[in-house]
Amino acid sequence: MADLTQRRRNWPLWAGVLLLAAGLLSNALFFVSFPGQQFAPWLNLALFVASAIFFIAGLRRAIAQPQVYRGKIAGWIFTVISVLLLAFTVFVFYISRALPAASAASPQVGQKAPEFALADTNGQTVSLTQLLAGSNSAARPKAVLLVFYRGYW
Amino acid sequence: MCNLELRGIEKHLAEFQAAGVRPVAISVDTPEQSRDLCKKAGYTFSLLSDPNTEVIRRYHLLHTGGGPDGHDISRPAEFLVDSNGVVRWANFTEDVRVSRAC
Repeated sequence: MADLTQRRRNWPLWAGVLLLAAGLLSNALFFVSFPGQQFAPWLNLALFVASAIFFIAGLRRAIAQPQVYRGKIAGWIFTVISVLLLAFTVFVFYISRALPAASAASPQVGQKAPEFALADTNGQTVSLTQLLAGSNSAARPKAVLLVFYRGYW
Repeated sequence: MCNLELRGIEKHLAEFQAAGVRPVAISVDTPEQSRDLCKKAGYTFSLLSDPNTEVIRRYHLLHTGGGPDGHDISRPAEFLVDSNGVVRWANFTEDVRVSRAC
């Protein structure tokens, strides 16, 4: 009978744990801005996929050679957790990107920005012309940065 | 999550001002909702309301049914408009979790 303590460490499972932890931590990248932040969602997804691959590989080893490798039970637990988190990550990834494609009809660089007049938080109507001319409270700006956001938050 | 972008603007407001750039945010939120948001989040730049998506449609940014309860909202986008009213830079985000590094 094989001595349980003599079995080899199942390294793919440990690699999977590290990748899973890194994947979870990478969620925090959405809250910081740095050059290349636009790749953070891809990194997040890649880490979860990689952790699932390592868990499955480790689990296969543990099942195929239980007398050599440890981690048959832990392998199952980690694989299930990893796959569930991966499914959730894919879902969030899909939802986050379910945006209509940028329209070619939107104002392009070099084109005139369409004029508008909208109410500010005080209910005062503000037009693009007014914004560009500068108001009584602010000096005439060199440029105006229009930021369209989703709202409802 | 898109509040991240507004927060980023607030954080870099001094730099925008030093560069002579005035940031203005536009969404379907009513002036009341925007006022609450400003108060809660401490935004000091202008938030404009386009509840009827009139301007959002004029800029071709409508995200049909993108809001809760199937409301139409704006897709995230940014335009830098110079003093002559000409677009100098435009950005269309493909993932709502991406907050532009300002």
